[in-house]
Amino acid sequence: MPRIYFKTVDRYVEFAEGEEVNVLRMAIREDCDVPWQCASGNCGTDRLVVEEGVENLDPPRRRERARLGDLLDDGYRLACQTYTRGDVTFSWDPDQVGLDDEGGDGSGGGSRAGWAGTG
Amino acid sequence: MAEMMSPSEFRVALEQAFAGTMAKDASFSRAWATGKLHKQHFVHWATNHYHYIGPFGDYLGLMYANTPDHARDAKDFLLQNMYEEELSDDRHTDLLIRFAEACGGTRAYVQDRNNAMPFAKGMQGWMYYVSGRENFVVSSAALIVGLESQVPSIYRTQYPTLINKYGFSEWEAEFFDLHITSDEIHGERGYQIVLKYADTPELQQRCLHYVREAADMRFAYTKALYQTYVEPDLGPWVEEEEREPALVG
Ligand code: FES
Repeated sequence: MPRIYFKTVDRYVEFAEGEEVNVLRMAIREDCDVPWQCASGNCGTDRLVVEEGVENLDPPRRRERARLGDLLDDGYRLACQTYTRGDVTFSWDPDQVGLDDEGGDGSGGGSRAGWAGTG
Repeated sequence: MAEMMSPSEFRVALEQAFAGTMAKDASFSRAWATGKLHKQHFVHWATNHYHYIGPFGDYLGLMYANTPDHARDAKDFLLQNMYEEELSDDRHTDLLIRFAEACGGTRAYVQDRNNAMPFAKGMQGWMYYVSGRENFVVSSAALIVGLESQVPSIYRTQYPTLINKYGFSEWEAEFFDLHITSDEIHGERGYQIVLKYADTPELQQRCLHYVREAADMRFAYTKALYQTYVEPDLGPWVEEEEREPALVG
């Protein structure tokens, strides 16, 4: 079975062979403490460093490219925007905040913790 | 009499409750994913979808009012989703209309209720009924697990076709891209709320009943889209052979 290794919290999450799974969904389902806010590619709170397995990830789409910019070249992906079909390892800073909130007073104007879209 | 299921048993039961009638397998979805539809069909889809999901903030507001104070996390989840739907970024119905306009439709056409099928009005009425009259756990099961958690599986097959076959830009098709990912998380949070608050065998069974009913409703609505708008142009839907046999609708 393929698995996602959430290295920062030392947790493995397995999923069925042949499936493609959303990384943030798996992290929430298994309580892996990945920080997140909007789930729509807006805030950047859930940016993860891909340590291994980048070849198993789907390519970034418009919202993720727009939000991460050069951070994509530095090996970052947004958990909410990323699907994997095989083994992959991620790490992150447990205290990280949204990209627009960094260095500010935290009020930031972005979305609030745990706010997700509907459709 | 049904026994209380463990959270893991209940989750599997919820997932199985709509496994056979997922809207991604209905004829209109299959014709879309395999590139058979014309742009005019997309205008009809967007118009009907507008009248089905356009009042989503209303449905969530009714559910919010029916959720007791002790379920604060569930109330917050509903409120957050209302905000996301309407205010946090582009209004979701505006993204839908943007897609319709890219297909040759107009805002006025999409918003005119007279241009929606009776099935779309039926979906809308059913959602008002469930959100307004049912226990919040049951309406969460129906609207969020039964309907919304299906969205990524539908749009993940349709979005690449929109970009690669029909040549829509990512901007024009942003409605789909946004919901592929946000509804993954939305669906997961819905499961968590239902698993947590369906705390009697009766509530669990009622949730399962409404998940089935929701999936049946969405499947019938999606099938009706094909019969109403596509069948006159392309004939009855016939599934191509290389794919696993699907429920034909
Ligand atoms: S949670 Fe905001 S970008 Fe992923």
